[in-house]
Amino acid sequence: MAQGVNTEEAALIICAGIAAYAAVRILLEKNTLRKLPFLNVLSFAVAGSIALLLPHPLGIIAAAAYFIGSTLESNAIASTYAGGIREE
Amino acid sequence: MNLILAAVFTFIAIAGTLGTIIEKDPFAKLISLSVIAGGVIPFIVDRGYLDVAIAVAIIAPLSTIFLLFACRRDSS
Amino acid sequence: MTVDPLHILIAAAVSWINFVTIDLIFKLPERGGVSGAREIARQIEDGGGALHGGYMMGNIVSSPDASAGTLLAACGVYIAGIPGGILAALLVYVGNRICHDPGYAGTTGALSATFIVYGFSLLGFSAAEFIAGMVIAILTIQGISAVYASRLLSTLWRWRRA
Repeated sequence: MAQGVNTEEAALIICAGIAAYAAVRILLEKNTLRKLPFLNVLSFAVAGSIALLLPHPLGIIAAAAYFIGSTLESNAIASTYAGGIREE
Repeated sequence: MNLILAAVFTFIAIAGTLGTIIEKDPFAKLISLSVIAGGVIPFIVDRGYLDVAIAVAIIAPLSTIFLLFACRRDSS
Repeated sequence: MTVDPLHILIAAAVSWINFVTIDLIFKLPERGGVSGAREIARQIEDGGGALHGGYMMGNIVSSPDASAGTLLAACGVYIAGIPGGILAALLVYVGNRICHDPGYAGTTGALSATFIVYGFSLLGFSAAEFIAGMVIAILTIQGISAVYASRLLSTLWRWRRA
């Protein structure tokens, strides 16, 4: 490997690595609601990876759509969990 | 996407699948489904199918949300 | 251009300061915006964390805030310069309304990050370094220890209120 890693590849490696770390933390955490911040980190990392993988203007929309979808989903999971506890 | 990056995202998808199998709490299973989607979407983007990626990125969370609506209706 | 780790660390620090400052200005740690955020804060407090820090972490999970704005703005500037950043700010604004969040923390964070990232790009930084930097910044808050992060955020919130 005579050439160094260039900036975009390094950024992708960092994003992918942090996403993998977050996935492992999600598996290891026992409390369901405390998994959600790690899921949030994973969404950030994957959204960043989407933008870095393909620098096309539609990529901004893809990254934003993925991130907002993931946020909406986490919000729904947390709200439903919160509503559910009171019923039991 | 080189081999190492592909391996990392595959690992994320597999970790999500493991989570769906191992977890007992149904909400934790839903979180693991989200992890699977997070591992798979970069592959779709890497191939250039940005419109497919946008569609999956919107439909996957939407299905989870509808699932939660259905469960809430059942229990209340 | 080969990677310069110092650039990425500086980008991480600048992104951290941008999003934490704007979230504090918009009073994110004051209360949980939605029931999900309140529940997350309660769980973090049960685990040994601080309540107001937990509120901010819960609000970050439930709705695009300045952290999301900073990340998407960095992606926008990386792909399409300042117009890309402004498009990202618009998408964050729409995302906020879809999540029933009436605030402007996300949009403000995105707009400020657009100009910060563009400014640093004139100094020789790359917007890609800000994308990686922002992911590192959110990792330090949401991804390492909820207990310590919530205590740090609560301390900053106390300063903001004083």
